[in-house]
Parts: sequence; C-alpha cells; structure tokens
Amino acid sequence: MFRPLCLLLISASAFAAEDIRFNRDIRPILSENCFYCHGQDPKHREADLRLDVRDEAVKAHDGVTAIVPGKPEQSEMLKRLLSHDPDDQMPPPESNRKVTPAQIELIRRWIAQGAPYEKHWSFVPPERAPAPKVADASWARQPIDRFVLAKLEAEGLKPSAAASPAAWLRRASFDLTGLPPTPAEIEAFEAETTLKSDAAYAAAADRLLASPRFGERQAQEWLDVARYADTHGFNNDSARSMWRWRDYVIESFNANVPFDRFVTEQLAGDLLPKPTLDQKLATAFNRNHVINSEGGIIDEEYRVEYVADRVRTTSTALLGLTMECARCHDHKYDPISQKDYYRMFAFFNNVHEYGEDGRIANAVPLLVTPTPEQQRRLREMDQRMEAIDLKLQATPAPAAVPADLRARLTAEDAKLQPKSPKPAKPAEARLLAKDADVDAKRGTTLSVWFKAKTASLDAPIISALDRSGNPAAVSYGGGRELRLVGEELEWAASQRYPAYATIVRTVGAKIRPGTWHQVAVHIHGKENASTIALFVDGEEVPTQIRHDGVSGAPAKRDWLLGADGKAKPFDGEVSGFRTYPSLLKSGQIRHAYWLQSTDKLTAEQRTVADRGIARRHTGNNLALQTERDTLWTERLAFIRNLPTTMVMEEMPTPRQAYVLTRGNYDAHGEKADPGMPEQLIAPWPQDAPRNRLGLARWFLQPQHPLTARVVVNRFWAQLFGVGLAKSVEDFGTQGEWPSHPEVLDTLARDFVDGGWDVKKLFRSIVLSSTYRQTSDATPALYARDPENRLLARGPRVRLTSEQIRDQALAVSGLLAEKIGGPSVRPYQPEGLYKGIVVDAPYPSTTWELGKGDELYRRSLYTFWKRTVPHPAMLTFDSPDREFCSARRSRTNTPLQALVLWNETGYLEASRKLAERMLKEGGPDDAARTALAFRLATGRAPRPAEIEVLVRTLAQLRTDFAARPDDAAKLVKVGASVPDPALPAVELAAAAGVANLILTLDETITKN
Amino acid sequence: MSCHQYEIMHSRREFLQKTGLGLGAGALAHLLGGCATSDVAGDPHINGLPGLPHFAPKAKRVICLFQSGGPSHLDLLDPKPELERQFDKDLPDSVRRGQRITGMVASQARLACQPSRFKFTRHGKAGTEISELLPHIGGIADEICVVRSMHTEAINHDPAITFFQTGSQLPGRPSMGAWTDYGLGRMSDNLPSFVVLVSTNKDRSGQGLLARLWGSGFLPSAHQGVQFRGAGEPVLYLRDPEGLTREQRKKLLEGANELNRLNLASAGDPEISARISQTEMAYRMQASVPELMDLAGESKAVMESYGPDVNTPGSFARNALLARRLAEKGVRFVQLYHRDWDHHGGLHDQLPKMARDVDQPAAALVKDLKQRGMLDDTLVIWGGEFGRTPYAQGGANRQKYGRDHHGKAFSIWMAGGGIKPGMTFGSTDDFGFNTQENPVHIHDLQATILHCLGIHHERLTYRFQGRQFRLTDVHGRVVKQILS
Repeated sequence: MFRPLCLLLISASAFAAEDIRFNRDIRPILSENCFYCHGQDPKHREADLRLDVRDEAVKAHDGVTAIVPGKPEQSEMLKRLLSHDPDDQMPPPESNRKVTPAQIELIRRWIAQGAPYEKHWSFVPPERAPAPKVADASWARQPIDRFVLAKLEAEGLKPSAAASPAAWLRRASFDLTGLPPTPAEIEAFEAETTLKSDAAYAAAADRLLASPRFGERQAQEWLDVARYADTHGFNNDSARSMWRWRDYVIESFNANVPFDRFVTEQLAGDLLPKPTLDQKLATAFNRNHVINSEGGIIDEEYRVEYVADRVRTTSTALLGLTMECARCHDHKYDPISQKDYYRMFAFFNNVHEYGEDGRIANAVPLLVTPTPEQQRRLREMDQRMEAIDLKLQATPAPAAVPADLRARLTAEDAKLQPKSPKPAKPAEARLLAKDADVDAKRGTTLSVWFKAKTASLDAPIISALDRSGNPAAVSYGGGRELRLVGEELEWAASQRYPAYATIVRTVGAKIRPGTWHQVAVHIHGKENASTIALFVDGEEVPTQIRHDGVSGAPAKRDWLLGADGKAKPFDGEVSGFRTYPSLLKSGQIRHAYWLQSTDKLTAEQRTVADRGIARRHTGNNLALQTERDTLWTERLAFIRNLPTTMVMEEMPTPRQAYVLTRGNYDAHGEKADPGMPEQLIAPWPQDAPRNRLGLARWFLQPQHPLTARVVVNRFWAQLFGVGLAKSVEDFGTQGEWPSHPEVLDTLARDFVDGGWDVKKLFRSIVLSSTYRQTSDATPALYARDPENRLLARGPRVRLTSEQIRDQALAVSGLLAEKIGGPSVRPYQPEGLYKGIVVDAPYPSTTWELGKGDELYRRSLYTFWKRTVPHPAMLTFDSPDREFCSARRSRTNTPLQALVLWNETGYLEASRKLAERMLKEGGPDDAARTALAFRLATGRAPRPAEIEVLVRTLAQLRTDFAARPDDAAKLVKVGASVPDPALPAVELAAAAGVANLILTLDETITKN
Repeated sequence: MSCHQYEIMHSRREFLQKTGLGLGAGALAHLLGGCATSDVAGDPHINGLPGLPHFAPKAKRVICLFQSGGPSHLDLLDPKPELERQFDKDLPDSVRRGQRITGMVASQARLACQPSRFKFTRHGKAGTEISELLPHIGGIADEICVVRSMHTEAINHDPAITFFQTGSQLPGRPSMGAWTDYGLGRMSDNLPSFVVLVSTNKDRSGQGLLARLWGSGFLPSAHQGVQFRGAGEPVLYLRDPEGLTREQRKKLLEGANELNRLNLASAGDPEISARISQTEMAYRMQASVPELMDLAGESKAVMESYGPDVNTPGSFARNALLARRLAEKGVRFVQLYHRDWDHHGGLHDQLPKMARDVDQPAAALVKDLKQRGMLDDTLVIWGGEFGRTPYAQGGANRQKYGRDHHGKAFSIWMAGGGIKPGMTFGSTDDFGFNTQENPVHIHDLQATILHCLGIHHERLTYRFQGRQFRLTDVHGRVVKQILS
C-alpha cells in the first residue's frame, strides 16, 4: 500500500524556506545527474562540456551555451532538462537518471540569480559562525544549541522537553561507556539533580568520561573503521595477533591522548624520532587489512590490494573521501585524478611484505609487543640476572683450568651421542652432510663452526633449503638454512620460503670476519619462532622474529656448504658439523664449544675461554652459573613467546609506485611519487617529509578542511545515530549537505583549536540542551523528521550488538571487567564452522569455548573470525570487518528475536538476572519484576507495565509448578551454576520474565 | 525513476521519511496502527523496492547449485577429443597466449596436454554430449541448457567464488541472493527469502567456504542469507531452550509485545511497531522451519528419485530436496554449496565420487520441479567458480592425473525459469582452454539471472559511499540467445 506514495516523492529538502545555495541545493543535482559525463574525468567527457567548473559551463560550445548566467531561458542546460525529445533530453533516458520538476525549478532560479558557483563546502576550512539570534535564548547551554534552536525556530518547531535525569543518564552512560547505569547510580544522580541541576550533569559526565569503560566504548567504533579482526580473512582465515594494538586504542582513549597524536602514531609512529614501543605498535592500524594465504595466488596482485586497502581505510577514516573510486580511472564526481590516487598509494607502498602470507600466524613485518605487565616481568628478570652477575664477578678467577676438567667434560659430551657426518668426497665439495640426523619431533641440537672471509656478507653458511625452481611456486624453498647477515646469524625452517617459514635472527651475535665462531641451534616441536634457540660461541643469544609462518614440517634434505643452485658457496670455511639427538642445556653447549675450540681460536681467545671455564668451575660458581643459565634461558624463551603485532616498517629504499592502468597490479603506467590532492584540499606543510609522517602532518594541519570535520561528524553520529553530514564516509560532492553546517564547523574548530581533546568534545555535546531533549515524540514529528535531522528531539537509536550483549551481562551481574588481553571465545553454536571453515589444522579453524570469566568479557573482546563472525553479532548488524566501515546499518529482523530468546549467553544472563530478582528484588512479584525492569531500562515500570509482568510471572510459575523437571532444565543453561538456595520453579519463572525484559525494544534501544 | 528510491533505506523509519512527505499525521497514524499486528506491507525490507520487478519475470525464484572448488569442464560437460591426440604434448603457446598460471604449477617444467579418461555420449533430442560421470544429467539433457563458454577473471578459489556470488573478486559486496531480496523482497511471511544450504560429503574435506558469501555486503544486514543447517538446529537459535514450551514462549512473546505497544504509545517511534511484527515472525519461523525440514510427507517415489543419500542430513541429495521444499514455500533464492571439486591430483579417482554425489539428486530436482509445474518459474543453475586446465598438474597420464584451476573457459548448466531447454551454448577451442563462440562472462551470467527474475541488472543499484553499486559492476549483458 505504500508503493503508489513513492510517486509523490519530491526533493526532500527540509530547508526549503531559505535562499538557494549552490553547494547545498544545486551541486548535489549536478553531481548526481551531470558530472558523470560532464565532469572532471576527461576520458568520459561528452561533447567536450564540463559543468563542474563555472568558466567552462558558461562558455559557448559551437554557438551553444550550457549556462547563461541570469538568463535561464537562453541556457541550453535548462532546455535540455525540460526536453521530451529522447535525442535532446538530459540526462539521456538510457542513463537511468532523472531530474525532478522541483529540481529543475531550483536550477532555473539559480541560473536566474546569476548561477554562482561555490567551492565544495567540505574543501573550505571550517570557521566558527557567529551565534544566531534566537527567540528563546535561555534554552541554549552550549554554543551549538543556538544553531540548533535557530533552525528549529525557522522551521516553526520547538525543541522537545528535557529528558528525565534517569533517561539522560542511561543515554550518556551508553554513549560514553557502552554500559547502562546501575540503579544506585541513577538514584544518586536523581538526588543530585534536585539540588543543583547543571552541576550534577557536569559531574556525571566527568565521572563517565573518567571511567576506563570510556576507552572500550570508543575503541568499538574505531575498530570498525580500522577493520580490526583476529583472523586474516580469505579462504584459510587463520588467526593473527593484533590485540595489543586494540589495547593501545583503548588505553589511548582512556588517557585522552590528543586525537592528532593518536592519528600520527597510527599513521607513522615508527617514523617519529626515537619511537617508543607503543608508537611503533600504533602503526598496526594500517596492517589490520585482510591477508591472503591461499596457495598459488599471484603475490604482487595481493600486495597491491593491501596497499590499496590502506588508501581506502585512511581516506575513509580521515578524509571522508572515496579515494578508491580513482583507482582504475579518474574520480567521476570529485576532482581527484587517478594520479592522485597512486600518489597517496605511494605512501603505503614501502612495506617489506608479501601478497601471500599469514597462513598460521602474523605476516611480516611484525614486532614483539610485550604488555606493560610483561615488560615489568622482563625488568624483574634483568634485576635478578644482575644480582647473580655481581656474585659471579666477586669470585676471583683461578689461574688455570683444573687438570681433570677436560677429560671429565669430554666424557660428559660423549654421553650426549653427537654425530658427525662423513667427510665429503672431493667431487661433492659442497656436500657437507648427507642424512644428517635432524629430527624435530624428538628434538635435535645442531652445531657447526664457521669462519667468514669478509665482513658484511649476506649469504647462507650451510643450507638444506631447496632453492631450485620458480620462487612463485607453492613448493619453493622447503628445508632449513643458517645464514650470515652482517654480524648476525639467521636460522630458517621453511615449508615455503619465506612466507611459510620460521626465520629468526640473532641480536648481538657479533660475528667477525677472520674469526672462528660456533653456532648451535635447538630444532624441535613445530619449529615456530617460539621454539628456536640459537647459541653463539657457547652462549644463548636473543633472537628477533622475521617470519613466523612455518605451517608444516620442513623437507629433509642434504646439508650443503652455502646455498643450493647457482648461488656462490659460502665465502669462508665451515667445519665441525654435528648433531645431538636431544636439546642440549646451556652448560652442555658451552662445554662443547670450549672442548671443540682448541684448534679454532687464537692464543688470546683461548686464554679468555679457559679463564671463563675455570671461573665457572670454581667454588660455588657452578651452581650460580646454572641458576644464571636457567634464568637466561627462561628470559629468552619468555621473549620468544611474547605477543607479536603486524606493524608498518619502511623499506630502506622506497618502492617506486606507478599509476596502475585500469587498476591492474601489473600494468605500470607513469611514476607516482608520494603526495596528496594538495591544490584541492590543503597544501603540503613546509618541511614535511614525503613519507607517512609528513602525511600525518598534512592531515592534522589546523586549516585542513576535512580531517576534523570527518572525525567530529563520526563522533556525532555515534551519539545521535546519524551524522550532521549524513554520509559519514563521503564528504565529497556526492555526499549530503550537512543538516547543521555551523554546528559541524563550530565543533570541528573547537576540537582543533582546543588541542584535539576527545573527552572535552564529548562533554560539550552530552551537556548540550540538544542532547538533553527527550526522545519521546508525537507520530507527527516522527513523520515529519523520521531520522531526527532537525534535532527537535533527543536521539532514539537501537543499541549496537556489543552494547546489547554487554548490557545483558551487566544487569545480570555476570560482566567480567578486565580490560584488554587476547580475544576470548564466549558461547557460539556448536558445529557453526562445520562445512564452512577450511579443513586444515590452521589456528582458529576451531572454536574452543572460553573458560570462566572469558565467557563474560565485554563483546569487543570476542574473537573476531572474519569469514564466520559470531552469528549473534552479525544479526545485530556488526560489520564483517573485511574492510573499513564507518557506519553500521541498523536493521530489525526476526533473527534478532531468536538470538535474544535462545542464545545460551542471553539465557544464562536471564537466569542470573532472575537470581537477582529473587534475592534483591524484595518480597513480592511486583517489586521483583520492577527491579529487573529498572535494571534493563533505567526507569521504574508504570502500573500497566507491572500488571503485564506480574501476570506473566504468575502464569509461568503455575506452568513450571506442574512441570518441575522442565524448570530444572531451563535454569541449567550456561556454565555458571544456579544458586541452589533458590527453588527451580521460582527461578525458571523469573528467568522467563527476565528474558522477556531483555528482549524489549526499550531495553535494546538508547532512548 | 528517481535515484532516491534506490537510496539507503536503513530502516522503516527512513522509509517513512522517503515516502511520508505527502502524508498527513492522521494517515500515518493509520498506517502505524496497521503495523501493530503483523502488517509490514510498506517495509522495503520485506516487500522489495517500488517499481520492481522492472518487467514481467519468467522466474519467480532461483535455486543455485554451486559446485565449489572448480569442477573439471573437460571431464564433465565439454568433450575435447583433440586432447587425446595431443596427449603429453606441450600446450601450444598460441593457445596459452601468455595467460597467467597459478603458483601451483609455476614450478612445472612444461604444461603437458591431458585428455579426459571419461567417455562422452550424446543425450536427448538435442544430442548434448555429456560425460559418463553424469548419466542422470544426461537423462535430462532436453531440459537443460549447457553453457560451455563461461569465463572468469579469478584463478584462485576465494576471489573466484566471491566473484561468482557478488560480482567482485574482493569481499564486501552483496551476494546475488541479497541483491534479489533487496530488490524483490519476501514472498513468505514465515520464511526468509534468501536461504543457504551447505552440503558436505562425510568422506572428504575441502577448502573453506565463507559465511560472508551469503552476507549482505553494504546492503542492510536484513538482506543476508539465512543458513539452514543439516545437523543441529536448522536455523541458528531457532529452538526454544529445554524446559520452555511453545505456549510459554507465546506468553512471553505476547507479554513483551504488550509492553512494546505501551512503549510505542509514549515514545512514538514507528521502529517499535516494526519490532513487534518481526518478533511475531520469529515465532512463526520456529514452527515453519522445522516443518520444512521434516521430510515425512514426501512420497517414497520422490525420496527414491533423489537417491539413497537423501536419507543423510547434510548431503547434497538431502539439500537438493530441501531446496525444492523451500522453493515451494516461497523462498526466493536458494543458494546451495557443495564443496570439494578441487582436483589438483587424483582427479581420476575423486571426480567420479563427486559426480556421483550430485548427478542423480540434481537431475531429480529438475524432474521434481517439472512434475509439480514449478520448473517454468524456477531457475536452476549448476556450476562452479571456474574450470580446470587442459594440461596436467604434474605429468600427463592416461589413467591418473590432476588439473589446476582454470578461469579462461568452463561449463555450467541451467534449467527452467526462462532458459531455453535442450541446447548447448557457446564453445571453447580444441583444447578447452579459451572460449571461442559466444563467451559468457560471470557478469553476463549474473545479468541473465537477474533478467529471468524480471530485473534490469543496470537498474538494481544501491548507493554506497557516494556511488551507485550494482551486482554486475559496470559490465554484464543479458545472454538473450539462451532465453526461452
């Protein structure tokens, strides 16, 4: 019955009472209907006519002029718009576009007024507008209120009454912390407001802003923009570790880090002078994109996709422009060329990364990112080490090695059953060891001596890595290898080199040319980075992870001197290749080194080595040394097991970027050097480098027309459900004119000039009279302004998927308050992955249900599997996090009711809420149901509502009394145990009503 | 038609904005009152867009039997005797034309031609040549149209499947089922209009599928496909918890909606009435979905026609029968996935098993639809994301061989709903490597599917990030020659 009404559809401008303004009224019509063929893209331009530039539009083309300012009747454009002849008509019938009569009338009046053009509003820096005159000046509490009121008065509307203190507190609590207020908080607040109203509101806002929940609430939004997830996406979709970055975001919002610093760190923290760990960690923002590990893909194709994703995310997040529309051709609507796109692309193109990576762990480049707690533990270990070292040094070194020591240690070493390969035949000069006894399952220690001829080598010393064939092949580069890289050693255990390999490099090995060194390696387990220990000259050395992707056992091959294939052999000598069929302890390796070093070291070196051994075997030192070794090994293992995070890291020489013809990864066009649409948007800051750091400065310059507006608008949308500029992701010419440009600009100006202070911004909005209005309204007002663009009432918006679940956990008393840490796995239907998820033992192909508190953490900590996200979250409109998303849809479907009725977590929360009803609710049904209702909606139920609740509770009680077994079954849902003191029949009936309350529209809506 | 009508309509509320301008408050209140029970007639999420279908459709619904992994066209639907003559010879450069190949065969010294070891015979009046692996499909040769000139741009599973389903190789776009739900809306009050069935063979495993394949992309998430599952709950969260009866659920629902109505009276937000009706539909679904999954009412003859696997929940046969039942009950788009056609090696051994899984049930489905008079307005599609290479992965061998992914040419078949029966369309070169006559691109197939549903593929658009998006991107042309 609605369909015919659509024919009545006319230009839906709510602003008809005002004068025509090009940007607001005319540009959207031209942009939508004309610019595609008469815009700035020369390749698609018809009749050589541009309408996006006034000089061109008013120029005569073959004696015909599109726009004759002041003379609509002579303007060809108007004639064509009005024409019914399919040959003349504009837009052409086949374009599927149509300009309405009302729009044509607007254009006629605009031409009559001289056809003035304006630069697109969002490309002009925001300025504060003078406060408008309003009839009721007492209504305004914040500067923005006067603008809102002025508009309402112009529309003949009045603001709605203020919301009740309880309603405001619930709204503000969700907006600032993502959780509902407790009844105690509401009561206290109501009491305070009766004494000193505005001050009570300010105090409440400050309390909410200071809550550590604030950071979690804000992070949820930023995680959508930053397409954060716990898996890589695509077919294999295995796990990644990026939660340290998620925690950085939470901590930054909680610490109220100025937003410009927040952005700078995420775009270019690694390029800041002496970057801190957190600053480097922050750059994970641009590594949250999907990564493909499907065997056989074309590497470059996907590498280009990742760079493109950074452009897309950064431009949506900060520019509010659809830069990606210019990836294959010049932008159809905005004055952005394909060259502009690839100039922005160039900033993100210098990462040493692979198209195919991330099959079992993080892709490169990655960074070890200990938590603050882990950093504390490391410091503690260092202190314990220092204490031992002091004691060791206090013992004077004995003059000589005890006489029997060598014999004793030799015997001990022999017990370890070392094996040496047969010497190579001359014909197989490069063959070092055939059938070496390397067995990771059992555990193997491999040791070898080498002496490099020259410094600064980057070459394999010994290799069992298959470098034959095409590096693009899925089977390329299986095996193991030891390389010398400058002064460091690198160990690789590889299934496919380098993406599916473990590659670790020593830190501080101090390899010198012309000197014999011994290296020993622990080979065991799955040979991932956390298991590999490297010992140089008898001492275990720290390592850094370069790749941690080995996804299966490396092929077993012969060991060669230097690399396979045509590569040059190692320039130096190699000797003493040995394997031990176990993992040698630190002391054993040290002894082996000393025993074997006799003919390798200079006299001077030998004296040092002897003295070391002698000291260790003096007095109590052996015990001390063992204690030190244990601690050192523990420390290095601890480091190897620290969480890593994928981060941005510049290559020493930037990779040249090119315009890619039609966006094809292999079709290089002209060169594209780093830059932004500087003519159009903002100049490049003086002295700013042409790298990501310079890019951050460009975005954050005070007169940038877009950054602050885009950010502020998104915060506004978070509070009101819709942005001041509705298209939060598109501030280009196709985006909508903001409902209140002065409000947007005032907030943006204040935000920038006030030091990008996020909490201050939120404070000013939630304390405004605009925000404090009630959302209750007449059907007439809802009909006139369904989306509340005029702001004649307070926001009424369905809660997000996270808020709905978190609220259920909070009101039932289940919520675990821990902040941060690895993502957790709450209830999810069993067998959800069956038949969908890849049948391979990659991380995250199964859902191991969490234990204890992990079931009750806030939803932003729920493990986010991209290809199969948590179904309850999706049902309530969580995005899939494949790409940047600046706006969630808010739908209303039958599946939502099913989730609230039957999902284990909601059922458990219902039962826990029921326990609260029975224990805390008071003596009768009315009081008990009222408690649950108040917890869930933030207000006391009215008599008619109590009547429904009490009646339903009584009916359920009667039912369950007749079926006590059913009652017992119902209350068993979930991992928590029902309170045995409560009768099952009572509890089941109350749980039913509690569930009813949790499903109410009012409960899942921010009023 | 104005673009406004295709704009984002996130919610009923927004829809009212778009259409309510000419309405007085009284008329609106009347509409809202009507909504308070179960009338959601105006909601575009339910009834589709105004103006659609664009023209009288031949097909009311679609059953897409997607064969995930890339079935070998050379061993199933596209006979190539020339490969026999070229056995173990290098694929000529004139055929390959520099076409990129996957990392799977990048290390092979040569690309040796691999003939099929399976016989092809002619079937039906049309004389369509079909492999011995698909005898039942051969039996319906006069009902189907085999398209031998399909081609796609992707050469790996994830992008290729995503391309087939959404028109883009990269994730983030709506799937075909979501587009049709968005455009045409629901036909049933008790069932969603876009339903997904995933079948697995218990003896084999496969690559991952992706729940996002039936996602709604940038369309409102109400349009995402609902997976009906073979085991466990047929729809997630459908079953009431143990201990709660249907009567109790009804009482709770009624109680909640009483409160919701009281709330509507004071808050005034029409979104509340939408929630009331959606909640009621959820309750109805709790009955209608299990009914649908229960095959007790099917005759023995019908059950047998789908083959013995029909008794195994989660099998292709069972899902093919369920697809018919869903279609009968008003589901518009049934998307079935059958995994594991990815025969890099051991094709000679695995392909016959896969073919056996699907041959009889797929043919039975077409016959069953026909018998019920539904084939005329039900479009059935059978095919995968790409085909397989005419050269062997590894060495060429008359008995034992494998083939790599191949997107330049492959075959599918279609039946019913506006498609000309008993024909083959398009052809490939002698090697089955390149398309030759009448190439059909994935976007062309999508345009054709939409056409059968009465949708002009260029006019079903959705505005996102300042641009009108559509299933076929800026491409696609309806393959008129195969329309009935």
